Amino acid sequence: MIESLASISAGTEANSGSILLVSLLLTPIVSGFLVTILRRKRAIELVTVFSACLVLVQASALIVEIINEKSVSAFDGKPLYADAFSAVILLPIAGVGFVSSIYSVSYMSRQYDDGIVDDKHIVRYYQGFNAFLFTMLLVPVANNTGVMWVAIEATTLVSVLLIMLYVKENAIEAAWKYLMVATVGLAFALFGTVLFYYAAINSGAGGLSSSEQGMNWTDMLAGAKLLDPNLVKLAFIFLLVGYGTKAGLAPMHTWLPDAHSEAPTPVSALLSGVLLNCSIYAIIRFHIISTNAIGSAFSNQLLIILGVVSVGIAAASIYFQKDMKRMLAYSSVEHMGIISLAIGFGGFYGIYGAILHIINHAIAKPLMFFASGNISQRYSTKAMSEIRGIIRTMPVTGALFLIGGLAIVGMPPFNIFTSEFLVLSSGFASNQFLASGLVILFLVVIFASFMRHLVRMVFGNPKVEMKQDDMGKLAIIPMLILAAMTIILGFFIPQGLQTLAEDAMEMLK
Amino acid sequence: MDFPQFDILAVSSALLLVTTFGVVVRQGFLDWLSAYRYQAIALSAVTAIIAYVTGIWEIYIAAALTLAIKAIIIPKVLTFVTQKIKLEVKIEENPYVSLRLSVLISAVLVALSYFLVLEIPIKSDPVVAAYLPLSISLFLIGLFIMVIRRMALNQVVGLLIIENGLFLFATALTHGTSLIIEIGIFVDILVGVIISAILLVRISHTFDTLDIGKLESLKDS
Repeated sequence: MIESLASISAGTEANSGSILLVSLLLTPIVSGFLVTILRRKRAIELVTVFSACLVLVQASALIVEIINEKSVSAFDGKPLYADAFSAVILLPIAGVGFVSSIYSVSYMSRQYDDGIVDDKHIVRYYQGFNAFLFTMLLVPVANNTGVMWVAIEATTLVSVLLIMLYVKENAIEAAWKYLMVATVGLAFALFGTVLFYYAAINSGAGGLSSSEQGMNWTDMLAGAKLLDPNLVKLAFIFLLVGYGTKAGLAPMHTWLPDAHSEAPTPVSALLSGVLLNCSIYAIIRFHIISTNAIGSAFSNQLLIILGVVSVGIAAASIYFQKDMKRMLAYSSVEHMGIISLAIGFGGFYGIYGAILHIINHAIAKPLMFFASGNISQRYSTKAMSEIRGIIRTMPVTGALFLIGGLAIVGMPPFNIFTSEFLVLSSGFASNQFLASGLVILFLVVIFASFMRHLVRMVFGNPKVEMKQDDMGKLAIIPMLILAAMTIILGFFIPQGLQTLAEDAMEMLK
Repeated sequence: MDFPQFDILAVSSALLLVTTFGVVVRQGFLDWLSAYRYQAIALSAVTAIIAYVTGIWEIYIAAALTLAIKAIIIPKVLTFVTQKIKLEVKIEENPYVSLRLSVLISAVLVALSYFLVLEIPIKSDPVVAAYLPLSISLFLIGLFIMVIRRMALNQVVGLLIIENGLFLFATALTHGTSLIIEIGIFVDILVGVIISAILLVRISHTFDTLDIGKLESLKDS
């Protein structure tokens, strides 16, 4: 311990990464404490936005470090460790966390003015927001698979608290279902984690006798070749069911539409854009170990099946959907399915597509949720049949909602088109014609029904006469940032992302 | 000394199973909680036995934590909530599967888990042989309880039984993951129970029942 502290204080070039890892985790904790102490609305809003901004800056620095160094770790025995896959998850957490904190200020202030929440709720909301950010940041940087599990379970608990902010009937029901389904799912994941750990300590790999190391992902990977193949298969199935539940992969997705539609909108954006990715990340981690231990065929097949089922169920649900936020939630099921497919297809373009899709979805989905939050506050309903003529009542929000919608269904020139194209071409390249064909069919259904809902809401005449009003700058700025990103990433993919994809590919060999 | 040790293992497994069946056969809210408390005490004893057999001191700490958190704090919290809830009927009146049938099915689940363990490729030693099937039975019975009962409180108890099964699984198979992680898991459980306690109170306030079957306003279309 003393040694590692000394090595940090030495502050050499190689150690800046480890300092970043620690300070990244400390920022939301400190901010949470400040919120608890200050308790004044204005002050805690400022603290939260500032800390989210700080998290974004540190995460970006860390990602640059990862791109240069391939991996970053802190302390002896590497309790904190980040590599290409961590970077891919860190980027959405920090990015969406930041825009979501700005949007929170406007959204919660309006709820406050409407008398839906009071001072106590506001403090609780920002405490929860910071805690949520912390637990999510811990997932990609924890090397120990046990700690990763604890962090993911903690994200469930914190997000349940955030959904419970309202004492409405629907919110209580959603929170209860979410808590029960996600916790049982994660019990399966822990079962799988313990089996992997057992396989690791009994594999006869040297130096894995100590329990801390046996659970470390890096050590599991190093000894992957020696793991018992049958144990690995069994453990991976449990992990896939467990983390798949939390990632919203069908058929374990039942909690997702409820929770995502009843949460406060900025939290919906975090749940959809970021939290689902954290569980996908956990699946990827074990997929890598399983691939190294028994070859890729086994886990690839399972991931492809879950992916196709998710996209299919999402297609059916979006077609019949009547509630705006639930439609967006099912669209998240679809996109998680596509990510799972992409990993299952494998190959460089599969992995590259998965990485791009994680990031692209994390940009487009929060945009949609923010816009839908403004719209539902304005129209006081989430029923799509009641919402007409957004472009007339709220021109900017309507335009951005349309851009987000076009991006989400995979229209060129927006960002999601690129990643979906990569994923599908990797599907054909890996000879998965049935799966790719089915997914294309489902995507067409989703495209048609999503666009039908979207066009009806955006155009047409409002049912009730309303003034033009876009709900203030703070509600618009986060959406503008995200909309700009959907367009920029549609044309231009930064070199860094490709480097990350190459590094990620290395791990899967 | 091998023989008496093995005896302790068998007796303690039987004890743990009996306490688990206590939750299956009972109807009243407070009865479940007391059955759960006995189960947690038995689990703590089993954990201490594992610690004694393997000679790893960290497992004693896990046993003590089990006793403190699962046998004392969690039942206290849930009992407090049960007393606070203003409902006239505090029993499970008609579960989806009748009590008699559910005992039978639970027994089948126990038998099943003994067969399942044979399929898992593991090195067997006395501790594993005695407790591993037991841990899987707890896991399955917990899941079964969550599915067949209507009351929200019983779902929490089912979840806690699943978790006890997992804890036993991890301790028997790997002699405990590291202590820090176990403490993390304990904290997660404790917070989870407190959150579900708050939710229980809110459900009973808003819906005037703890019947999960009545929570069905959130649906597609």
